[in-house]
Amino acid sequence: MKWRLVALIAGCLVVLAIAVAVAGKSPAEALSTLLKGSFGTTMARTGTLQEMTPLLFAGIGVFLALRAGLFNIGIEGQFLLGAMTATYAGLRGPGGPFGILLAILAGAAAGALWALPAALIKAYRNGHEVITTIMLNNVAAAFTTWVVAGPGKAVEAGSPTSANLSPSLAIGHIDLGGVSVSYGLLGGFVLVGLVWWWLGRRVSGYEFRVTGANARAARAAGIDVSRNYLQAMLLSGAIGGLGGAIQVLAYEHRFYDSFSPGYGFDSLGVALLAGAQAWILIPAAGLFAVLAKGGTALDIFGVPKGITIMVLGMVILVVAAVRYRREATSE
Amino acid sequence: MNSPGELLLIALGLATPLIFAMLGGYASERGGVINIGLEGMMLSSACVSALVGVAHGPAWGLVAGVTAATALSLLHWLATQIYRIDQVISGMALNAIAAGATNFLNQKFASGASSVVFPELPYQVLAVISVAAVAVVATRTRFGLRLVAVGADPVKARLAGLNPVNIRLLAASATGLFTGLAGNYLVAETGVFTDNMTAGRGYIALAALILAGWRPVPGLIAALIFGFLNALSIKLQGQAVAGVVLPGEFWTSVPYLVTVLAMGGFMARNRTPAGLGKF
Repeated sequence: MKWRLVALIAGCLVVLAIAVAVAGKSPAEALSTLLKGSFGTTMARTGTLQEMTPLLFAGIGVFLALRAGLFNIGIEGQFLLGAMTATYAGLRGPGGPFGILLAILAGAAAGALWALPAALIKAYRNGHEVITTIMLNNVAAAFTTWVVAGPGKAVEAGSPTSANLSPSLAIGHIDLGGVSVSYGLLGGFVLVGLVWWWLGRRVSGYEFRVTGANARAARAAGIDVSRNYLQAMLLSGAIGGLGGAIQVLAYEHRFYDSFSPGYGFDSLGVALLAGAQAWILIPAAGLFAVLAKGGTALDIFGVPKGITIMVLGMVILVVAAVRYRREATSE
Repeated sequence: MNSPGELLLIALGLATPLIFAMLGGYASERGGVINIGLEGMMLSSACVSALVGVAHGPAWGLVAGVTAATALSLLHWLATQIYRIDQVISGMALNAIAAGATNFLNQKFASGASSVVFPELPYQVLAVISVAAVAVVATRTRFGLRLVAVGADPVKARLAGLNPVNIRLLAASATGLFTGLAGNYLVAETGVFTDNMTAGRGYIALAALILAGWRPVPGLIAALIFGFLNALSIKLQGQAVAGVVLPGEFWTSVPYLVTVLAMGGFMARNRTPAGLGKF
């Protein structure tokens, strides 16, 4: 089996080398452009950390569901709904820290609500969560577009966008030698710690993992599998929505059409890379952020940004070949 | 306002890529391989069809498009059957690779010129004929019956002397052919490729397949209904239905919402192939 893995990795690298050659650049040049674009200046580093924030939150959401054996592809929709709801809660609600808290809670609640149909159908009707969440993602995209282009559109705006939030609702940042690090990102680190603690140290977290490892064995051991599925999807959705809220409050300060450039999808890769280890979510989100941020620099350099998306797909394939293999079914 | 007949023709036109992609999904999922990579396969075919079509004419565009989709479909087969990667993850990865690669190729090679294209009507006729052909193959031929058997229970199929991996290889080629036609048809409508031009059609085709209980003829009907809904949403833009103006986004969402209900088992009995996702 080992040589097959080597063949897969070699195949991916060959395809990438050909692509870079087609673009008329040398692979070394492309790589250094990518790294310079994401680390080269304090501004680039700030941007990379900003990219990392939504990837980390959405990644935690996917990771948590995955630990219970569920594949929450719906994180994209939950993120969108969370971001949108947090924005309008912020526009209507009070300012200051209380307003921030309210907007965050509203975002998390909206994310959980958007995951609810998939959660119920998985838990009680045994309908595959992948299909339902894909469908709900498409509904979320249509719904948020409609809101932001119609009833929720800022009066004076030329494009589909909400009004800007008041500055008192902005989540602050600390300055590390010119690189600004948002408290939103730090909150993500804390959440990783909480998830690690809960999964590893609490009985409910243990039941959660057993459900994911083997649902039949869990049922035999007296664990309520349906309740754990429900809990997993709702928690995952809430964290996705929370990520959307943080994105609005820490960085964007408004909601607009096509708010997410595919964070939901990238976060699947983040969670797959992390596997069973919560802390790996942080470097994994960092890696994907580097690709996203550096991809823009590559684009300007003359290598189309699509190549970074190809890299993401290949990373997912290789990781899955190592870790998410199907065993032959035996009855 | 168009006559009902014209509206139906528009609906058939909009349903054609869904019908092809639905058949692609049928070939894969009847054999037990979950395929959410239909979107990426269509997209790659559309891109390659357009680029080759500009340079060498529509016939080569068609051949190249089908080849590209088939290559991706075979990659899905390789990933799920040989590497035994989780089928959902493989499908997602393929969609990413296709989205990235088409963006890359289009930016590097698109000349801005429109491709000469075939007329659309033959595709539409071919789509309907293909449904009948697939239905016959699945129920009347040795290969079709074996495919369904493998999809229903790969373990018992193996005990009966079948080799699921080989049978799925042939099915994956069929998936490539059909998704290739679907992508090529999108270019036949427009002559050019634009980023993400499939715009979720692969997922709607999957929805049609699920709603139809993984059967070809009901799948055709579901795809036609989705095409009709799409035609209606274009026609009804801003017009009141029974006194209420429903936004276009609502009509876009209907296929997805109906599928969620179907997954909840609220529509009919569960007809999911028993061996779906099993190895």
